[in-house]
Amino acid sequence: MIKETWALFIREVKKTFRNKAVVAMMVVQPIMWLVFFGSSFSHVPSSFLSSFFNTTNYIAFLLPGELAASMIFVGMFSSMSMIQDKRFGFLKRILVTKAPKESIFFGKVFGASTRGLLSIPIMMLVSLAFGVVFHWNILSLVVWILGLLLLGVGMASIYSIITMRSNDWQTPGVVSNLINLPLMFSSTALFPSTIFPGWMRDISSVNPLSFAAGLGRSFVLNTPPNFLFLLYLVIFCFLFLGIGAFLSREWLKAE
Amino acid sequence: MGEITVDVRDLSKQYGNFKAVDNISFTVKKGEIFGLLGPNGAGKTTTIKLLTTLSPPTSGQAFVAGYDIIKQQKEVKRNIGWVSAEIILDDDLNAWENLGLQAALQGITNWEESADTLLKYFELAEFKYKNVGKFSTGMRKKLEIAMALLNSPEVIFMDEPTIGLDVGTRKMLWDLILLIKNEYKVTVFLTTHYMDEADQLCDRIAIISHGKIIALGSPSELKQKAGGYAVSLEVNDGFDISSLKQFHILENDKNKILIEISSKDNMLDVLKSINLEKLKSINLITPSLDSVFLKLTGSTIKETEEAVDYRKFYSMVRRNTQ
Ligand SMILES: Nc1ncnc2c1ncn2[C@@H]1O[C@H](COP(=O)(O)OP(=O)(O)OP(=O)(O)O)[C@@H](O)[C@H]1O
Ligand SMILES: [Mg+2]
Repeated sequence: MIKETWALFIREVKKTFRNKAVVAMMVVQPIMWLVFFGSSFSHVPSSFLSSFFNTTNYIAFLLPGELAASMIFVGMFSSMSMIQDKRFGFLKRILVTKAPKESIFFGKVFGASTRGLLSIPIMMLVSLAFGVVFHWNILSLVVWILGLLLLGVGMASIYSIITMRSNDWQTPGVVSNLINLPLMFSSTALFPSTIFPGWMRDISSVNPLSFAAGLGRSFVLNTPPNFLFLLYLVIFCFLFLGIGAFLSREWLKAE
Repeated sequence: MGEITVDVRDLSKQYGNFKAVDNISFTVKKGEIFGLLGPNGAGKTTTIKLLTTLSPPTSGQAFVAGYDIIKQQKEVKRNIGWVSAEIILDDDLNAWENLGLQAALQGITNWEESADTLLKYFELAEFKYKNVGKFSTGMRKKLEIAMALLNSPEVIFMDEPTIGLDVGTRKMLWDLILLIKNEYKVTVFLTTHYMDEADQLCDRIAIISHGKIIALGSPSELKQKAGGYAVSLEVNDGFDISSLKQFHILENDKNKILIEISSKDNMLDVLKSINLEKLKSINLITPSLDSVFLKLTGSTIKETEEAVDYRKFYSMVRRNTQ
């Protein structure tokens, strides 16, 4: 199982990183976020920023949120890659080998999550260029990256589960439009929940994005990381990873 | 030789109310090339899907390399190779990476040496690190076969191995299939709708039509069964069909008539008894698998042949969009 998963994972990674357009997009997109969205608060008085976002640089607030948001978008890649394998028959090629079906699911999920991790160093560098100051608390950094990885794996699992039985090119796009935006805006990724209406604050308090963003803010604002957030993400990740592995045995078929 | 590698017993596959494979039974002997011959939609690919565990049968049983295709899927998969009709490779990877992935999925650890040997045998060694997306169709097919042999299978399933290939590449592939049989001692199960392919390549052939096996035997046995020669006539309107009443008419469709004759010389008798003014063309049909098929099904396999070019076109289009 581990060997097969590893081989399929490496395949995903190779396919991603050999595609120059994909790599360019992965680098440019986060930069655009920070440059355009991050600059939208430039002329807001710094007293407002610090009372509202706990920092005088909105980009410092946005960085953890944006990275969390980019991890939910990786889910779409895992299901697109799955649909492509079905369409071109590659799934059949795998199904004729003795590789367990779960390894197909794991390969897709981990491959897509790895793709999401690439934006972490890029976004951090861009933030530094925009004058964000990091305190480099290594523990907070590790916890944050772990949190992002768990979020990515969990989201990619959800996506793969939803599209596992489909072989329609449109499905990943439809699903992502349906779940990404509500998830993003009902979390603390872009704005603090203090300004939300009550019902949205409720969603935000169980939204995995909020937890990943929260871990990031501990690093950026140099406060101790909340390990309960990490625990929540561990549960979120393994719950959907488990469900997906279980369902892949039944749902991954040649026809 | 007597050993049996594939043992199929009353196997059926139903899609809704449609029987794609209808209660077929046969055995494939160890070391032989066994051909499943039939027109488009006959159920060839479905049969391969059942035997490779890609699709569960509706009823019946089958044993591949001694293992049950329903209860021992993992063992079946470990002991087979599979080459699909549409070429399935990862175009973003090179030949070596495709082989490595296949080895990992089949759980083979020391694959490098045999992979190198296979590439050499198949004359692909110099393209080892070339992206598969840039391979020609013939090279892609060869690589697929090499991948299917990597786990030293008992039996290799090839679905229409020469579809969409030019004459030269087809010949090359036939030699390759014979090499697989002779050098690697692997049993070959192939499907085809080319009569000449089945005739030249296969030790034994099962003819499948509408999901049923309608004949089984060696090419020469089948040809003997089909019996004699036939004459096909193309005639003008007003042709007097009663002038042929002494002959056995197999087909009389519009102005095309097919007559069975017992030997070549009887063609002259046909000519003597008809009004030559009304004759457009005449053709002698010598015993071949074509005539076997004709006799058994009442239609020639060529009638479906036009579809072949669409498929070739389709497979090309697929490749280009990959
Ligand atoms: N998944 C499916 N669902 C419904 N019908 C199917 C399915 N797969 C095959 N069939 C039907 O079963 C019949 C046999 O199909 P099959 O692909 O086995 O034919 P074939 O002999 O391989 O033909 P070809 O030479 O065109 O490849 C066809 O009529 C086809 O429409
Ligand atoms: Mg077919």
